Parts: sequence; structure tokens; C-alpha cells
Amino acid sequence: MTAARVLDHVFGAPPIAGGLFDVDASGAPFLMGGHCDQCDRYVFPYSESCPACLSGMKHVRLGGEGVIYSHTTVRTKPPYGLPQPYSVAFIDLNDAPLRIFALLDHSMAGGFRIGDRVKLKVGVIGHDGEGDPRARGYFTLKDSR
Amino acid sequence: MAAAYIIGASTTAFGPQPEKSIVSLGRDAALAALSDAGVDSASVNMGFFANVFGPLLFGDTTIGQDVFGAIGVQRAPIINIENACTSGSSAFHLAVQAIEADAADIVVVVGAEKMCVPTLGLVGGGQSDYASRNGMAAPVGFAMRAARHMHEFGTTLQQFAAVTVKSRAFAAKNPLAQFRKPTNVEEVLAGPMIADPLTRAQCCPIADGASAIVVASEKAARANGARAVRVNASVLTSGESVSAPDIVRWGTDIRTCALAYEKAGVGPDDVDVAECHDAFSISEILHYEALGFCAAGEGGRFVESGASAPGGRKPVNPSGGLLSRGHPVAATGVAQISEIVLHLRGEAGARQTPDAKVGVAQCMGGDKDGDTKSCTVVVLSR
Ligand SMILES: [Zn+2]
Repeated sequence: MTAARVLDHVFGAPPIAGGLFDVDASGAPFLMGGHCDQCDRYVFPYSESCPACLSGMKHVRLGGEGVIYSHTTVRTKPPYGLPQPYSVAFIDLNDAPLRIFALLDHSMAGGFRIGDRVKLKVGVIGHDGEGDPRARGYFTLKDSR
Repeated sequence: MAAAYIIGASTTAFGPQPEKSIVSLGRDAALAALSDAGVDSASVNMGFFANVFGPLLFGDTTIGQDVFGAIGVQRAPIINIENACTSGSSAFHLAVQAIEADAADIVVVVGAEKMCVPTLGLVGGGQSDYASRNGMAAPVGFAMRAARHMHEFGTTLQQFAAVTVKSRAFAAKNPLAQFRKPTNVEEVLAGPMIADPLTRAQCCPIADGASAIVVASEKAARANGARAVRVNASVLTSGESVSAPDIVRWGTDIRTCALAYEKAGVGPDDVDVAECHDAFSISEILHYEALGFCAAGEGGRFVESGASAPGGRKPVNPSGGLLSRGHPVAATGVAQISEIVLHLRGEAGARQTPDAKVGVAQCMGGDKDGDTKSCTVVVLSR
């Protein structure tokens, strides 16, 4: 069984792209990215070479928690079969000095605020552009309001 | 370095034009610009053609030779340009460089776009891009800039709406603009929400349209007399990839404006009229700040004060901008520069900036890593 097959089984559909997220032994999802040992730079998604110094990058875990830096809820017809409406954010990760773009939990679209603490989940959301379902990472509130 | 001048400029109407092709739009603008310059196609040494959506929507590539062929320019070098919303201003930038390098005397820039077709979806970065595949599309990044601007600087929904109100007030004076009906803050805010907090009237409409400019050396500009407009600076930069982009203190925008001012030897106080890339209401507020028309964070209060409105001390987007004139992507960057040319010549009709001597056209395009992909700033004077 290939790695992709294993992830299909875990997430219910193939991930929208390889190498974005995985689950730990307890089943908790985490993000994966790159780290440069030369200049201590992190990137997400993973890139083979460091954007600062062009050294090869290592695959590293970036954790699954962060804080919302800014967000919006998109109410027009969504691309890739995403829910309507869907919310997205820039999130400052707790475990790496990175501000990343990510989907938010559409079951509470429009209910997020700047400064909210959020954690990663993975679910089957939208498709690959051709109609085949895909697993995507998204962030939901860490604490209930 | 040789000096570059603009001796001809023309823009078609912007809006749906189903009877027109990309080539016919480009031809119309180019012929009118040549006529405005008083030169014939035989004297054109070089051409730059900008278009973004031809390959995607119609399968058309390398369209520049078709457009220039249609205006009688053959054998001369023609270069096709795609650089997102700065495609047209990037083409202009290369034309200026060609003149400054003494490689040509007369260079024609044409930006033409045809987008008003049912197959155009939400404009994003393409299928190989992580952010696009996770919901990043044209309004999304700007909506998040707006939310953060409110959070950090206390900018209000009414101030965002004031950008559109000001835009329509100018467009009412521009017969070639797409949305010319005056509006008010309440009406802008009552419209359908596109991406919170941006309502529909705060997002620019797509359009079909074209614009063309004739750039000339000092020698070739002499025949044009007092109508020639001097290009004091043309700057093209690209964005950067940083770990935590600050989306409300836009480094690339600020840096590019500063470079253009430095190259032209002018500052924000010297600018009489400006066009900027107001794809969304928040965009214009951020560009006021980058252009130095107000302090960082003050853009909302600046537009609310009326400073950038008709009759204000710093008129911005007198054409109606992207929000009201419309945004045929590759034509926009050329049309912005053409608008400034009209004001510097005193030919802008009802929307003329009184005694305009220095004008600026700012444009940016694309979205990558929380930054723009490209940014251009042009300073012109008479
Ligand atoms: Zn490095």
C-alpha cells in the first residue's frame, strides 16, 4: 500500500496536494513544511530550496495550532467546489515563525475574529478542479466561545 | 541616458463589447494613439503588446503581431507581455527602457483585454498554486487586508465605501467609464457581500477594452511640441517571500513608490494627480499610504476628508479607476498612464485637474505569499 493510499484511508479522500499535512500517532493532524539549516528559515508549503539562501530544505513538522492574523468569508460562487460561504485566514503558527494562508471551518463561516486561537483539522472539502473529492486542511476554534 | 516622452495616448471605452475581438480592440486604441501623436505606422521602430486572458479564454497566443499587423507595422520587433494587472505598465516600462537605451525613436505600447465571456470564473493563481487551491482568489487577499486595516487602524466600513462613492463621482465625468451613476455610502454598503467586509461595489468590474501609448525619443518628440509629456521615472519591481508578511504596511508598494519618487526627483507633495490600482476599495486606501499622500494607517480618514475627490487637493483616479471605469486587466496599466497624460496636457475635459504639472500612475498585479507579484510606478511631468 502506497503512502497516498494510507492517507486516502485516514482522510476519506486523497489530499489536495502531497506533503501539506499528516497525522501523528494519536490521530491529531499537523502541517508539514520546510526548514533551512543554513539560515533558520521556515516555509509552508514545502519547497526544495530555501527562498533566502537556495540551500536544500529539510521536511519538518509545523504543528497544528496558531492565531488568526486576519480573515475573510467569501460569499460568491466558490472555486474547487469549496463550501458557500467559506472562510479563510492568515494564521500565525505557534510552532514556527510563519504566517500561512489556510481554510477555516466552514461550519462556522463568518464566526471568526482576529486573535482567535485555532487548531488544524483535516476533512473532505471540495474537489480537485475536475470534480474528484479531496481532503483539505482547515482550522477551527481551539477553545469554545 | 536618453530621455523618454509620451507623444500619443488613447483609450477605448471600457465595458462589455461582445462585437469586438482582442485584435480589434487593440487596433482601435493603437490607431487612435498614432493619430494623437501625429505619426504613421511606418515610423514605429518597436512594439510591446500586453494581454493576459487571450490564452486562457480563447486559446490565442502571441497576439501582438496580429494587432501590430492590423495597424500596418510589419518587420519591426514586437514583444508580447504578460505580467498580471501590470502587464500594460510593464510593457510601457520596457518601451521607456528601449527609448532610454537609444534603441528606438518611436515605440508603441498596446494593452488589450477581452474578459466579458461566460467562461471567466473567479480570477486566481491557477491549479498548481497551494493558495488558489485552498480558496485564494482575487478579492480574498484584499478582504483580509481590509479586515486587518480595520483592526489595526480603526478604519471603518463607511471609509471603505467612501472610496467607491468618490470613484463614481469622477466616473460621472468620464464618458468612457463603465459605471457612471453617482452613489452614496449607504447604497455601497447595502449591496451584496463578496468577501467580508467588501461589498460588490467595492470590487472592480471586469471589462473589455484597450489602451495605447506612443513613447518617443527627445528628437522624435520635438515635432509634438508642447503636448509631449516627459517620463521622469518608470519603475517595475516584484514582490518578496517573507515568513510573516505585513499585509497593511505593504512593503513592495511602499518601496516601489519611493524608488519612483527618488528616480524622478519629486516627492508626494509635488504630485498634482494620481491614478492607482484600486481593484478594491481597500487597495486605494493602501496605495494612498504607499504613495505618501497620508501617513500609514490614515488612508481611510484621507478619503473620508474629500482630499482625493473631485476638487480635492490630491485627486486620485480621476478616470473613475478600476472600480468605476472597469478593469480589462492588460489594458489597465496603459490606461492609467494615458489618463495622467490627459491631465498634464490639459485635455481631461470635465475631470481636468487644474494646472497639473506632475502626475503618478501606480499599478500592481498578482498575488503570491501575501504580497503582490509585480508593482509599477510611473512619474510623468510637463
Ligand atoms: Zn536558507
